[in-house]
Amino acid sequence: MRKTVLIAIVLSILILVSAYVSLVYGVINVNFTDVINTLFRIDPSDQLDLVIFDFRLPRIVIGALVGFGLGIAGTVIQGVTRNGLADSGILGINAGAGAAIVIFMLFFQGQLDLTGWLSIMIMPIFGLIGGLLAAVIIFFFSWQKGTFDTGRLILTGIAISSGFGALSMYISLKMNSSDYEMAAVWVSGSIYNANWIYIISMIPWLVILIPLIIRKSYLLDLFRLSDISSKGVGVPVEREKIKLIILSIGLISACVSVSGNISFIGLMAPHIARQLVGMKHQFILPISGLIGMLLVVIADFVAKNVFTPVELPVGIVISMIGVPYFLYLLVKQKR
Amino acid sequence: MKNKTRLAKMIILISPILMIITTILSVIYGTKGISFSTIWEAFTAYDEGNTDHAIIITSRLPRVLTAMLVGAFLAVSGAIMQGMTRNYLASPSIMGVTDGSAFVITICMIVLPNMTSIEMILFSMVGSALGAGIVYGFGSLIPKGLTPVRLAIIGTVIGTFLSSTSAALASYFQISQDVSFWYNAKLHQVDVDTFLLAIPFGVIGLIIALITSGHITILSLGEEIAVTLGQKTKWVKALALLAVICLTGTAVALVGKVGFVGLIIPHIARFLVGVDYRWLIPSSAIIGAIFLAVCDIISRFVNHPFETPIGVVTALIGVPFFLYLIYKRGGEKHA
Repeated sequence: MRKTVLIAIVLSILILVSAYVSLVYGVINVNFTDVINTLFRIDPSDQLDLVIFDFRLPRIVIGALVGFGLGIAGTVIQGVTRNGLADSGILGINAGAGAAIVIFMLFFQGQLDLTGWLSIMIMPIFGLIGGLLAAVIIFFFSWQKGTFDTGRLILTGIAISSGFGALSMYISLKMNSSDYEMAAVWVSGSIYNANWIYIISMIPWLVILIPLIIRKSYLLDLFRLSDISSKGVGVPVEREKIKLIILSIGLISACVSVSGNISFIGLMAPHIARQLVGMKHQFILPISGLIGMLLVVIADFVAKNVFTPVELPVGIVISMIGVPYFLYLLVKQKR
Repeated sequence: MKNKTRLAKMIILISPILMIITTILSVIYGTKGISFSTIWEAFTAYDEGNTDHAIIITSRLPRVLTAMLVGAFLAVSGAIMQGMTRNYLASPSIMGVTDGSAFVITICMIVLPNMTSIEMILFSMVGSALGAGIVYGFGSLIPKGLTPVRLAIIGTVIGTFLSSTSAALASYFQISQDVSFWYNAKLHQVDVDTFLLAIPFGVIGLIIALITSGHITILSLGEEIAVTLGQKTKWVKALALLAVICLTGTAVALVGKVGFVGLIIPHIARFLVGVDYRWLIPSSAIIGAIFLAVCDIISRFVNHPFETPIGVVTALIGVPFFLYLIYKRGGEKHA
């Protein structure tokens, strides 16, 4: 317990430091006093307000929230499938949620202002439908004799993510060009068009779903045992698994609807968390969330600043770190 | 067995007729409708001033021929890979071969901005070899790494890595637009000169494939059996690999990444003509050619009057088939 708190504190400090670096460093350099002056409204200037409140801060906050959500959802998915290689991106859940959101953009383009309040609040719900559809397909193809077969699980994921990817591409080509731009940026996973409305649209999902998941964290410990033993303890295994999966897909949809398809966070964060705090999900979940946060904030900083004058989608930066990590896990896995 | 051989002969015999029909359909249907008699005139009495004739000779005809060639190349390449490695999931797009090509082409566009078509084809082949080398090299490093499911996972993940890296490089050096031309596989921008240069390379690949086809049949029974039967497996493998590299490299240099053709066509051909590669390879070539040409026609109509990238069409057809394969044969049992 004390170790977990300590690690949580260290991680939080790291997150704050990277958020600070990300806030001050960029095309326009801002110094410490500027940040303090602007944040606490001591001596506000229009230019600094624009840079900090409209460009940098929302982006950092969204990166942090998305990382937190994806880290926790990834832990749940790995726990429920009992598969260390599972990740919402690799399994195609992100792509499913993405396709549903692109469909939403197509049907309501013109009728709703796509950057307006109402549509941004509705988007995660559409994402949820798509994510659930992907999960049902995965379940249908890889559930065998009461367990998920590792090979099928990942193969099905590969198949449906390329299928949903093609679908999103096809649909986004039907849109008018400005919506297309938005859809295209969004599919490759980017948070550069962050604004405060997106943040507000995410918060209810995080605030409601994360406590529910943490309350059920003891179940994830039980799932490490065989299903028979968990049933013996008196847990209705299938029902609880489905509930947990739905909760985590809700979380993923909220993240995906603002940031697009970011893979590998849900893969890396839980592994690192387990290495740090051991096997209890009560501890793994929050730590995994914090690690996800740190990863996305750093990756977004890299995406924004290392390749200047161009910006990369943050999803690409993360997959360049995530793929070697995935391969490392594959090598390490003893079978 | 005899029936299947007869079916194979029949496919080969009627293939010219089918191909001519597909070609005519492909020339007739498009944004501008062209009548059958105009096509006839374009061949018998070509009139430079006539726009329709010009469209037929310089745009529509090269396009359908490219589609057919690429379809045949990818299908044969997939058939060889599946036979050689006894892996039902082997195919250029899943095993990272096409991603390798696209990666090397991206690098070359940065380093050698004025490369000629022939250089591009050669570099694309180098890239195929690189992609295949990394994936198989990695596969042989880890325990059970060469089983179908694992190799497919490794291939996809390394493919993701290569394409993310290419995207990052392309956007850093600000050539995204030129590169996205390959990624989205737009057949209608085919360059006639590249097409003419590509033919010899592809044909060499096809000839090697046909010469080694008998040996691949034996190899597909298993390496031990092939050795016992007196086969020099190293030579056969080297030649077969050369064919794969020629075929895939040329295909990518021509139209970019087109997924799933190399995966599904050999399965369909095997279903029709059986497991004798002497018949399977030519049949795959024919079916692949017709398949891709038909996909190309479809791609003009799904989102009329705009064209859809052909990769989207093949993915939308290929993904259900891929899922079917996973359902039938996936899982650790066959791994």
